[in-house]
Amino acid sequence: MANRLIVMSGVEKSFDGVKVLSDFNLYVNENEFITLLGPSGCGKTTCLRIIGGFETPDAGTVEFDGRIVNDLEPNQRQINTCFQKFALFPHLDVFENVAFGLRIRKIAKDEVARRVAETLRLVKLDGFGKRSVATLSGGQQQRVAIARAIINRPKVLLLDEPLGALDLKLRQEMQYELKEMQRELGITFIYVTHDQEEALTMSDTIVVMKDGVIQQVGTPEDVYNEPKNRFVANFIGDSNIFDGIMKEDFLVSICGREFRCVDKGFETDEPVDVVIRPEDFDFVPPSKAKIVGVVDSLVFRGVHYEVNVIVDGREYTIHTTKIRAIGDRVGLAVEPDNIHVMKKDSHA
Amino acid sequence: MRRLRPYAIPYLVWMGIFILAPTAILFVLSVTDLELYEPGPFSFTLRHFDVFAAPLVATTIGNSLALSATASAICLLIGYPVAFFLSRLGDKTGKILMSLLIVPLWSNMLLRIVAWEKVFTPDSFFTDLTGLSIDLLGTRGAILVGEVAMYLPFMIFPIFSVLEKMDRGLIEAARDLGANDAQTFFRVIFPLSSGGVLAGIIMTLLPAMTSFALPARLGLGRISLIGNVIESKLMKEVLGSAGMSINEGALISLALMLVAVVLFVGVARVDREGETLL
Repeated sequence: MANRLIVMSGVEKSFDGVKVLSDFNLYVNENEFITLLGPSGCGKTTCLRIIGGFETPDAGTVEFDGRIVNDLEPNQRQINTCFQKFALFPHLDVFENVAFGLRIRKIAKDEVARRVAETLRLVKLDGFGKRSVATLSGGQQQRVAIARAIINRPKVLLLDEPLGALDLKLRQEMQYELKEMQRELGITFIYVTHDQEEALTMSDTIVVMKDGVIQQVGTPEDVYNEPKNRFVANFIGDSNIFDGIMKEDFLVSICGREFRCVDKGFETDEPVDVVIRPEDFDFVPPSKAKIVGVVDSLVFRGVHYEVNVIVDGREYTIHTTKIRAIGDRVGLAVEPDNIHVMKKDSHA
Repeated sequence: MRRLRPYAIPYLVWMGIFILAPTAILFVLSVTDLELYEPGPFSFTLRHFDVFAAPLVATTIGNSLALSATASAICLLIGYPVAFFLSRLGDKTGKILMSLLIVPLWSNMLLRIVAWEKVFTPDSFFTDLTGLSIDLLGTRGAILVGEVAMYLPFMIFPIFSVLEKMDRGLIEAARDLGANDAQTFFRVIFPLSSGGVLAGIIMTLLPAMTSFALPARLGLGRISLIGNVIESKLMKEVLGSAGMSINEGALISLALMLVAVVLFVGVARVDREGETLL
């Protein structure tokens, strides 16, 4: 059983009467790479700021290493942050930016020099010490921000959309490097992003949030394959979401056709949401298929084609490598274990 | 941009007539034996520089430097916390309080000086109002208080403007990295506001150094500053007394101007974006 480093229980936070977090319960294990994922305004940054000590919860407790830290100042926490806009000190050079935390703790000069050099090497900024931060590229500034945070050997590193300002190529490189770094350093990373791909690539655990409420906590595979509700299914990856009716265990009716599935435990004739991922549909001859439609559009996406098929006036999105022409009549098949049935959102 | 250039001509002409030409005349006067009110042939001379050796002028320069430096330092000590406090307030409250600092500046400075004169006079209306009878007129203290009161806003404005624009994220970053309030202030906030401090020092030091109505009224003429010397040097000749004193006055003026230019160039080098002076 992993050690629970941070435990948030019943945390509430409002700004100007608007509830940003409500009854927020979350634990973070040691050495975990956990990602808070959600659209902007879902409260993920507020959650991070509460952990960092920049906001105080209105209600509930935040425990760090078994101690309640609600009112502990940011400078008294063994937590460092990599800020969204980097927040590098413009009056200090790269070396002094990275050394800042050590200087505050009055570490001996030669040790400062040694550790800064070591950390700059780790973030691949060897020899940049004397450079002014203003002359660095976005990617390099990002690395300085990370170096400045990890040099203090915090137990937890908070990252607030750290790659948001970088271009796509650089972002993908940095995703990989951050993940590597986390493994090497053995530091718990709490990462905030609205980019689902980033979350799926890097995380051990993903926390999907909406309007200050946790929707689902799970591994990337869990939240992708077994979304808890319509919102999660929609937010993570492309989805076809259908209104369905659960006929009996392992049998669901979608659009008037019955399909075998692997879900059970619903009431008879209970209305449900059904998710089928675009890559889980397969083209079959129309004569052998329950679903028959006409290809409406076709977009080449590199590894696959994105095909829109109109069935009884409804659009189905399909990712496939098989080529069909616009106007072709096609049959669609789906395996039972690719049909994912979810309870209807009570508040949707 | 180029089409707008003609609109700058009136100002350029204005500057030429009222700034460049007088400066040129001052320069000619200060290094020649030309008499302003009896123009004729003149020749180059450096003898006006002797004026800096005159005991009266030397003392005056000393007075000016000491008083203005002290006033500027006091303005900084009072002004920095005020600017810091104002910059932390919300947009609305901060602006209201800031305008309270600006509004008095719209009243004539001479009026404000006279008001202080009354305050420092024993048994004045100030005594009737408050019961306090202060007798400071004619002392360095009176001049110092007057200078601080006159120029304090000019210390606050530039510091406020720098602090207000400062990225709050930097302060959070410092706290995040373990700095307490004092460390955050001395390692991040103060260094980043040094441009504003420098601008504030110049904007209080220069007018305090050159003020002449203020020492004349609050110092009762007992303590003269450079401004008073220049005035008397220039007035003497108007009043008909002989000598080259107007040329000496011109030389002292130019020396002051040189100090001002050097200070401004200094600021411009520190603060390339020029955001602190305005």
